[in-house]
Amino acid sequence: MSTGASNPEYVNARVRSRRASLFAEEDYRKLIRMGPSGIARFMEETEYDREINELGTRFSGVDLIEYALNRNLARHFDDLLKWSDGTVYDRIARYLRKFDVWNLKTIIRGIYTDTDPETIQTDLIRAGELPDSTLDRLVEVDSIEDAIDVLYGTDFYDALSGAFEDYEETGALVPLENALDREFYEHLLDDLGRPTEGPNALYVEFLQAEIDFRNARNALRLARSGADLDPAAYYIDGGVLFTESELSRLVGEYDELVDHIAENKRYGDRLSTAFDRLRDAESLIQFEHALEAALLEYADRLSSIYPVSISAVLSYILAKEREVENIRAIARGREVGLTETEIEEELVIL
Amino acid sequence: MIENGPELAQFALEAAETNEFDEQVADHYSNAAAAIAVGLAALASGYAERGIGAAAVGAIAEDDDMFVPGIVMTVLPETLVIFAIVVIFLV
Repeated sequence: MSTGASNPEYVNARVRSRRASLFAEEDYRKLIRMGPSGIARFMEETEYDREINELGTRFSGVDLIEYALNRNLARHFDDLLKWSDGTVYDRIARYLRKFDVWNLKTIIRGIYTDTDPETIQTDLIRAGELPDSTLDRLVEVDSIEDAIDVLYGTDFYDALSGAFEDYEETGALVPLENALDREFYEHLLDDLGRPTEGPNALYVEFLQAEIDFRNARNALRLARSGADLDPAAYYIDGGVLFTESELSRLVGEYDELVDHIAENKRYGDRLSTAFDRLRDAESLIQFEHALEAALLEYADRLSSIYPVSISAVLSYILAKEREVENIRAIARGREVGLTETEIEEELVIL
Repeated sequence: MIENGPELAQFALEAAETNEFDEQVADHYSNAAAAIAVGLAALASGYAERGIGAAAVGAIAEDDDMFVPGIVMTVLPETLVIFAIVVIFLV
């Protein structure tokens, strides 16, 4: 954690400038009509040029796009941490730890499947708080137990060593991955308290929304798939939408679950169009996209309430992630030959 | 400090009405009051420029064309000091 005065003005100015240079709707329209090499060429003329040029000799086609996107994402988010000091750093790092979780999951899966270190390296998104040296060491280790030992001293050590026994018993990665997710979400709201007004209140509100949407998504997936899993194992504490017992009860009753979310004061109105779609259509993907769009819009609204605060940074992080996901969806969609309308349905555009 | 400024000046002026010697003292008092007023104004504009300057440097780092607008925005609070200088001529 860094100490000293924080510099929200500086970070905000830079973030807003980068936010403005994200792809607009017309750009996506153009991309949808291109093939993978066309997309790569288009990206070369935008702010992705550095990554495309770096990786262009080693990869081609969709892989090139994919790795360039990951690297670009990592570069931008690393910049965020580099610029910020004090409280702002703390707030951003807290959220970006999500990429630490992602990286650790990738590494654990890689070790589990005996993938060679080189391949794991390319799949990492070096945007989190764990230093590059730690990640490099993690990639080289041979067993999951050694990997956990490398993490000694970080927040993830306790969580992972707790779940390791379960893993040894069952031989499945789920307990380890759950422990990582839980570690991330449960520390999101640490020592923030429950402020009722000011930028901090909005920050907390946003994080709660993130947790709530995650819970809602898990619950809906469980309810839809009818899988016989204990919902409590996936419940994340800290949101306002569900309590643990409510969630366990509602997973059995799909319609009631949807009603419960729709009746919530905080999200009901905002998600009303999404709910109409969920009730009509059979597709959960559509609803998940609607959730993402709602969260994005929510973050945008928060960032205009307090112009110089952490909200603008959060809204940028989300928007950037969406952009990367969208471009990836287009590239992958073109590769497998989806039609333009099918790809368009996969995109989340505000 | 700031709200005491006018009172200090008022006090000095009242004192000036009494006699020759007091008038000199009052002159010194009013000069001191004006100096404090300008000093505080400069401090305040410095504080205001701190945030704007940080944001301007951020904007310039992203886009070189922001250099001129950045400088203009940064020195806007300087008007505070310019107004404060008027005080010197008033007392």
